[in-house]
Formats: sequence, C-alpha cells, structure tokens
Amino acid sequence: MPMRISDSKLASLYAAFERQQQSSAGFKLGREQALEILSMVGDRSGWSATKVLAELKKPGLSQDAQVALAAKGLSKSEKKDLEAILDQGTVKLDPGAKAFLEAVVGRTGGGGGGGGGVNGLSVTGDQKDGLTGVTKAGATIEAINITTAPGGRLHMDDTMVIGKADANGKFSMAKLTGDQAMREGDLIRMRARYADGTTSDWMTVKAKGIEAKDSRNAVVALFRIGLADTGSGKVSVENINASRQVSEPGAKLQFTNLRTNEKTQVTITDLGGFPDGFKLNGKAGDSFSVAATDGTNNSAFTTAVGNVTVPGGNPGGTDLIPDPALHRDELNADGTPKFGKKSYTGPLFIDGAKAGDVQQGQIGNCYFPAAMAALAQHHPDAVQNMIKDNGDGTYTVTFKQQDWATGGRYKDVQIKVDGDLYTRSWGGPLYGHSSNSSDPKKMELWFPLIEKAYAQWKGSYDSIGNGGHVSDVFEDCLGVSTSSMGLSYSSLDSVWSRITKNVDEKKAIGAGTYGEDQEAKYTNTGVYADHAYSVLGYEKAANGERYVLMRNPWGESEPAGNGPNDGVFKLKLQDFTKLYQTMYFVS
Amino acid sequence: MAKPPEPIEDVLPRATWIVDAEVTEVLKTGSAPPKAEAAPGATSTGQKTAAQTVKLKVKRVLKGQDVAELVVEKPEAGYALKAGNHGPFLIDSTKTILGRYGPDSYSFERIQKALAAS
Repeated sequence: MPMRISDSKLASLYAAFERQQQSSAGFKLGREQALEILSMVGDRSGWSATKVLAELKKPGLSQDAQVALAAKGLSKSEKKDLEAILDQGTVKLDPGAKAFLEAVVGRTGGGGGGGGGVNGLSVTGDQKDGLTGVTKAGATIEAINITTAPGGRLHMDDTMVIGKADANGKFSMAKLTGDQAMREGDLIRMRARYADGTTSDWMTVKAKGIEAKDSRNAVVALFRIGLADTGSGKVSVENINASRQVSEPGAKLQFTNLRTNEKTQVTITDLGGFPDGFKLNGKAGDSFSVAATDGTNNSAFTTAVGNVTVPGGNPGGTDLIPDPALHRDELNADGTPKFGKKSYTGPLFIDGAKAGDVQQGQIGNCYFPAAMAALAQHHPDAVQNMIKDNGDGTYTVTFKQQDWATGGRYKDVQIKVDGDLYTRSWGGPLYGHSSNSSDPKKMELWFPLIEKAYAQWKGSYDSIGNGGHVSDVFEDCLGVSTSSMGLSYSSLDSVWSRITKNVDEKKAIGAGTYGEDQEAKYTNTGVYADHAYSVLGYEKAANGERYVLMRNPWGESEPAGNGPNDGVFKLKLQDFTKLYQTMYFVS
Repeated sequence: MAKPPEPIEDVLPRATWIVDAEVTEVLKTGSAPPKAEAAPGATSTGQKTAAQTVKLKVKRVLKGQDVAELVVEKPEAGYALKAGNHGPFLIDSTKTILGRYGPDSYSFERIQKALAAS
C-alpha cells in the first residue's frame, strides 16, 4: 500500500526527502530532518512552521520539552501522517530519529526524544567514537559490555559510568575501557541515571562502526555451566551462578557429546543463561565439547571453547595420571601411604576464583595457599586461565618458568593432573581443599588441583610441604618479577605506600610472620608464627587510623573481634609491622 | 609450624581433660630443637620451640575430673607459652597439651560443638 500523507506541507517536505534519497543513496532522515517534520505538524498551536522549528531548536530545551511541544500541536490526522512515515516511509530513518518520532506519537513513554530505544534513553549514530545519544539533562550514562562480561565476575548490572549528558540531555564519546572496551558487534547494556537517582529503562546496543568487521565471538563462561545426571539418559544444564552470565544474550551454544557425538544447540536467554528445563542426552561421566557463535563469528561451530563434564562419572576406575607422592609425614615407615584417594568431579569454579575458596590442608605449605588466595583476590582472571578442564577426567595447569636459554623470558610449563585427591578416613580431603563442600561431586576444584599440579611439577607433596616463599608462587603462576620488603626496618609510611599501591593496581601481595625464637609473642594474638598470610586490601578509618586486611589461608583462626571465623581480619598498620616480618609482592 | 590445627575429631578422643585455664608459671624449658632447614624468610618451615613444663590455673573444666591446678607439658611445637597465656587446653592422660597450637588451636565454641557431637 503506498504511503499517504494528508498534511500538504508535510507531504511536500517528505517528497523533498525522497528526492534527496534518490540523488544520494546513503541519505537517511536524522535528528535535523525529524525536527523539520515536527515543525510541519506542530503548527496547530498557531505558530508558523518556522517558529515551531525555532522553538524546537531553542538552546536548553530538554528532550521531554521537545516531544511535548511537538505533541501539543499534533492533530489526529497529523499523528497518522507521522505513523505512516514511521511504518511505511520510503526514506530511511536513523534509529535516533525513529525513536524521537515514536516518542511524539506516544509509542514510547516520552523522554526519549532524539534517539533510539527505551524510555528515557536513546542512542544515535555508530560507536566509532563511543556512545552518543540523548537522555535527560545531567544524567550519567552507565554501561557494561555484556559480550566480554561472562569472562569476568560481573553481574549484568555491574556497570561503569562512561559519560554524562549535558544541559540539553546530549552525551557523546562515552566509552567503556579496559577489558570492556567496545569492539565491533559487542553488545553494550546501558541505562541513564538521573539526578534524582532514578534510572531509564535498560537498553542494549550492538556496537557498530568501530572496526571493519565483527571479529569477537561470544565469550562463554564454561565454569558457570552446571551439568547433572537427572536419570533416564538426560543431563540437566543450568547456570550455576544465575546472577552472572554464561554468555551474551542471543548467542548460540552447541554441546557435542564426546561419547555419542550428538550435537545440541541452545540460545542464551536475555539474562545470559539457559532456558528453563534445558537438557542434553547423556549420563554421568559424559563430557561435552562446547562451541559458541554470536551469529557472525564461528557460525558453523567449528571452534570449540572447551569441555564440560557431567559429575559423578567414573573415569575408568583407574588412575588416569600417576599422582604426586604424599608428604613424608603421611607415609608409613615402609613408605606406603597412610591415606587413600578419592576421585573428585566437582566444578573447577563456582562464581570464579575467590580468596575465600582457598583452604590450606594438613601440609606445611602455607606460602602456597596464601599466595593463591592473594592471586584470586587481585588476579582472578589469571587464576581462571591457568587451569583447564580437558573433558576426559584430566586437567591441565599452566605455570610459568624462566627460560634462561631465551635470556630469562618466562615460558609456559603445562602440568596435567586427574581429579584424584588424598582423603582422610572419614572422607575429607587431606591437603588443600575448597570451602564450599568436601563432597567429591561438589567441591570447587581449582585450588586443590592447582596445588596438586604444583606438587607434581616440583616433585611431590613433600617437595612443596616444608616451607617456601609466597613470592615464588606469584612468579610461578604469573611469570612476573616479585619483590619483598623487610618490615622491621621499614617506615610505616613506606609499608602503607606499598600496600595501597599494590592493592590499587590489583597486584598480589602477601606477608609472613616471624618464626625462629619469636613464637612466644604470637600466643593468644590470633596470628600464628612461621606462617604466611594474604593481604586482601586496606582501610583508612575516619580518624586516620590505617588498617591492613589479611586472610589466614586456613580459612579460619584470626584475632578476636573480626566477625565470623573465616580467617579474614584487619590489623592496625603498626601491629601489622610488629607481627609480620616480610611482605612479598608482585612488583 | 603453620600447618592448620589438626582436625578436632582426631584430637578430642585423646583428651582426658579439656579446661579453660591460664598459664601462671613456666616451670621448666627444655633444650632448643634443631633448626629447620629452610631458605631465609621462608614460612611453614616446621621450626619447633623447646618443650616446656607449665603450671595452669584452671577456671573451668569442660571435660575430665574437677581440678583447680594442673602442671602440664607443652611438647616441642610451633608455639611457646608464657605466664598469662590462656584459653582452652586439651590435655591427654600423660598431662601433655594437645593441639598443634595449644590454647590457640580451637575456640571454645568449636570444642563445645565437637563435644556435643561426640
């Protein structure tokens, strides 16, 4: 049906736009043209079109006021004309102009004048120079890159402020930075926060104009995919941390059962998870290869992200990989082990890597869990990247080692381990374990398996269980240089400066207490001699008192008055320098 | 020592007394154990302190016969005692203090829970 515009002046203006499009193929109706259209239909108030246009363009006029002014002079037939332009128009409208006109005809709740998508916020143009658009005057623009967010520990609402609207409600060059920096095709979730604290609706923008093509595929958080054998040949699939994403909304994941080769596809929901009730054909012990596409990249699912395994499977009932030997304290006189083993099949990560996951076992390697908890606190992504589920009951842990053949550059050292861990007679793990559960099917495995791989690499649990340095572990995991600081001869200010610098820069830091001959001063303090701790952060009280936030790698035992007995506590800076001998840090 | 305290389930069955007590006097200190071999600045070296004989003033008995005072042995361990130190002491039939860190090994709450469960 041909488009019909009843208002003669508007019809004449639109015809001019049609001619312009014919002479210039890329021509679109933008904000300027939308205002001209509105000036034609806003003349019912008795003003001329020129006067209406001048009013609409008046400096300082808010988007709400522009919409209200245009709508005030709008007759029923003029409204129909605008709807015809919106729905049947032959000249292309850019998203901002479209949203503006839709607001005038009442299709959105207003306040979205001039730009694209939701109540109170619109985006115009491409994102070559960041996000540009309109909202209410003075509003801040909050956004999160939900294409990259699944790889981190972000909720979909964990936005950063990227810009502020001016007095006319316009904002421009609003950019996400760091890991969230926008690339072509990324999905950006955003909203405006007004001066009164209320917000616009959420809107999602697919970034464009940044690069020649979209080359970043949907990121998949494999560690959030929870599989469970539900019987009858079915495996339930769920996001084990529903408040965070498995992947970007709309992405397709393909699961390939490595036993049967059956392929199953699923579309990620608007909340970044799986549809309720989503199941795969399979059973306990099955491994699935996971591939993803954002619709542009990897659309044939040729590249897999990795594997996930249904817990409870018996990896053949045999030792897949010989395990590192026990510490000498756990061997009988004839060299036979005092403890048996169990196969652990829980998830590598639940909710990412966190300091609170780490629990030291019955082995003298406090430096190792203290370092790993500090790494989880300050470098969670590095921890997540250093261990991979191979999908066959084995895991590969990648450490770093200086290679003197290449002038001391760090090279990767990959250590493969299986899920077997030494256990006590009553079932709990003997060495490092996680805080969430001691159940072999549920325990979060990243820490005990990285510790096991470390023992494998260094020779045995005995090799790593007789003391060491936190900084060595930082170096072995990150491949970076480290330093230490003696606290007995350092000024309070220099210690404070080092702690705040490292914490602010998200660089791992730990500390060790005195050992030889000074044990007596620790009794009843809640701090233990000859022991390593993680430095999690710092606090400065209103009265200027400086505190260091610490964690005991036992996951318990702390000075009194520090809340739940979870090993986390704070010490006044001067007490810290008295009780601790050395601070170790990534430099 | 820097290993965590032993699981209380392993220690409790060996405790003849569990008392809330305070060290009033260190009666005797043994010879220093050999130095642990470890790099300078390392932690978890396993270094132990000399054995001690100490007198405890008992405020409360959680398990065992009522007693007002005990003379007990602190074995070579990763902690040392001095007058004024206090807390829950688990003591075996030879009057040796149990728990890797003596009175800092377990909280009263944890001991009471374990006792209730045993």
